[in-house]
Amino acid sequence: MRILLVEDEKKVAEFVARGLRAERFAVDVANDGPSGLEMATTYSYDLLLLDLMLPGLSGTEVLKRIRRQNAKLPVLVLTARDGTAEKVEHFEAGADDYLTKPFAFAELLVRVKALLRRGATDRSSVLRVADLEVDRLSQQVRRAGKRIELTSKEYSLLEYLASNAGRVLSRTMIIEHVWDESFEGLTNIVDVYVRHLRSKVDVMHPVKLIRTVRGVGYSINAEPEP
Amino acid sequence: MNTRSLRFRLIAWYAGLLIVVFLILGGVVYGGLKSYLEHSLADSQMRRAKQVAYTLIAHIDQTGPAHVVNEINSWFAPETSDRFIRITQATGTVVYQSANPKDQIFDASHVPFPHQFAKATWRKESVPDGKQLLIASFPYQTSAGKKYVVEVGVSMEPVQNVLQRLVTLLAFGLTAMVVVAIGGGYLLVRRALSPVDRIAASAAHISLHNLKQRLPVEKTGDELERLSVSLNQMIARLEDAVQQNQRFIADASHELRTPLTIMRGELEAMVEGAYLASDAQETAASILEEVERLGRIVEGLFAISRLDAGEAQKQSAPFDLAALAISTAEQMCLLAEDKGISISTDAPHEVIVEGDRSRLKQVVVNLLDNAIKYTPEGGKIRLSVLTRDDTAVLSVEDNGIGVPVEAQAHIFERFFRVDKARSRELGGAGLGLSIVKSICAAHGGQVEVRSADGQGSRFTVELPLAHMAGKKEAKHGN
Repeated sequence: MRILLVEDEKKVAEFVARGLRAERFAVDVANDGPSGLEMATTYSYDLLLLDLMLPGLSGTEVLKRIRRQNAKLPVLVLTARDGTAEKVEHFEAGADDYLTKPFAFAELLVRVKALLRRGATDRSSVLRVADLEVDRLSQQVRRAGKRIELTSKEYSLLEYLASNAGRVLSRTMIIEHVWDESFEGLTNIVDVYVRHLRSKVDVMHPVKLIRTVRGVGYSINAEPEP
Repeated sequence: MNTRSLRFRLIAWYAGLLIVVFLILGGVVYGGLKSYLEHSLADSQMRRAKQVAYTLIAHIDQTGPAHVVNEINSWFAPETSDRFIRITQATGTVVYQSANPKDQIFDASHVPFPHQFAKATWRKESVPDGKQLLIASFPYQTSAGKKYVVEVGVSMEPVQNVLQRLVTLLAFGLTAMVVVAIGGGYLLVRRALSPVDRIAASAAHISLHNLKQRLPVEKTGDELERLSVSLNQMIARLEDAVQQNQRFIADASHELRTPLTIMRGELEAMVEGAYLASDAQETAASILEEVERLGRIVEGLFAISRLDAGEAQKQSAPFDLAALAISTAEQMCLLAEDKGISISTDAPHEVIVEGDRSRLKQVVVNLLDNAIKYTPEGGKIRLSVLTRDDTAVLSVEDNGIGVPVEAQAHIFERFFRVDKARSRELGGAGLGLSIVKSICAAHGGQVEVRSADGQGSRFTVELPLAHMAGKKEAKHGN
């Protein structure tokens, strides 16, 4: 997997690139808008990490020009501005996701992995993780054939985890998907709900499906823990 | 009526001055006319007295007093002409005294004698019935050396009648003029000052959130046009300053976030990496924690600045606050249950307010989160949304540790913490309630706290109701 990082702050670029390389990604770094645009249009990348405040050519402009040639390239915007208007602007310009500085590297990694595997998301009406079944139409949940009653929030959380089975989801991502931005900063709400979800889904069964990923968030996984 | 208003004070001064001027004018006219009338009456009486003295008294020694009496009676007929005539010798003997006039307007026999015999003079004498006589007295010495005083008097009534009429006329006329002048002045002042009201009304509508607006400028070329032009220039400078401030905040946010990102990234690498001694790793973890807190503080501060700069206005739409409160409470009830706290909601009917839904949701989230944090296990939280007059009232009440009285005034201030250690332990940045306050203020509302230490607290948010109450929005649920 080859990632292009366009970031003018050399130190940020350095630790992001270092971290991504440690995760076995190939990382190219551009330090300004024009060279970033040139590299993005010349070589083939699987993902673009784009800072918006760039010298030479603004990130928004780079994004618009790349989108004219390549509509499919996943783009994760790194931004130091997080007004609602700015968020809307990023998505309109063609960003697939955004991350506000300062971010945790683990958060960045989770989002990069999510974007790289996007499109593989299971869209079928029934999600299966081992012996767990989540029926999206009737919103019913069964484990080993036995019906489990969940509250609507617990269901939303489980559905989000199950539709991204095998992937790590950060607390912030969970809050953004299951709750909304009003709950940002209230990450313990995720822990509380996951605990309740576990008590209903996992506690009676020898195989635990919901896993805690230390410092990042949670994932649901059919394979036994390594 | 506002007695301190410019309009009232201008008219009061104007009316006061006008009344003083008219009073002086009335006094001068009255005094002048009175003195003129009295003097001319006195002059004519004096002429008569001299006439009597020169033609009759001069020959009294030859003709005898009886002749004088007859002559006066036939010449002046005092009874019919309402005249008083008396001739007195210096020795005190009355030579002649006119009889009472036919209509009895005065009693001639009770008229006092003059105090002075030596000089030609006139005086006013009051007689019973409140009437006044004007009496001219003229001393005369006959060639034989006898001294007489001739007094000729007449009733003052005609003069008093004229003066009475004048007073009535002045009283009515001047009052009418004052009334007309005040009325006219009021209209003029109102006309002249009405642009001030318009300027004040439009200026009152300009706040930090709509600095793009300007005051209406009427091209009259007068002082008020100059005033509105200068006010508009001031608003433009304010707008400029606010924009600069916003730019500064945006720049500062970028400038602060970038080093925070670097610090966080490097520290994370140190904590995760295996190349540090364990105590150094602990230190790095502790620094990382503080960097994360610093990040939260910076986020909170920028959120407040953006709210104060009017960001909440951009996403304004009417919605049901009651439904929002209920759904938010449902989303958070597990957090409460986790501590064994029960949340009860009381929102019996729709309460439509207008504003940024997600911001106002944050108000509910922050207040509930606060209540959950500071209420011990087994506590109770009550959330209610009601209407009072034109106001939506949302309150969050708990029976937790409460807020000490001395802290209540400061609890909405940035970085204020009642219990620093406890707040840090709970991960607070000291900004949650000031964000609540900023959001409320941005929506034209307010938030207040009532609490007794140790007996729980009650936070009350007041927001103006949306005016389009009939226009319903679908109930939101998450």
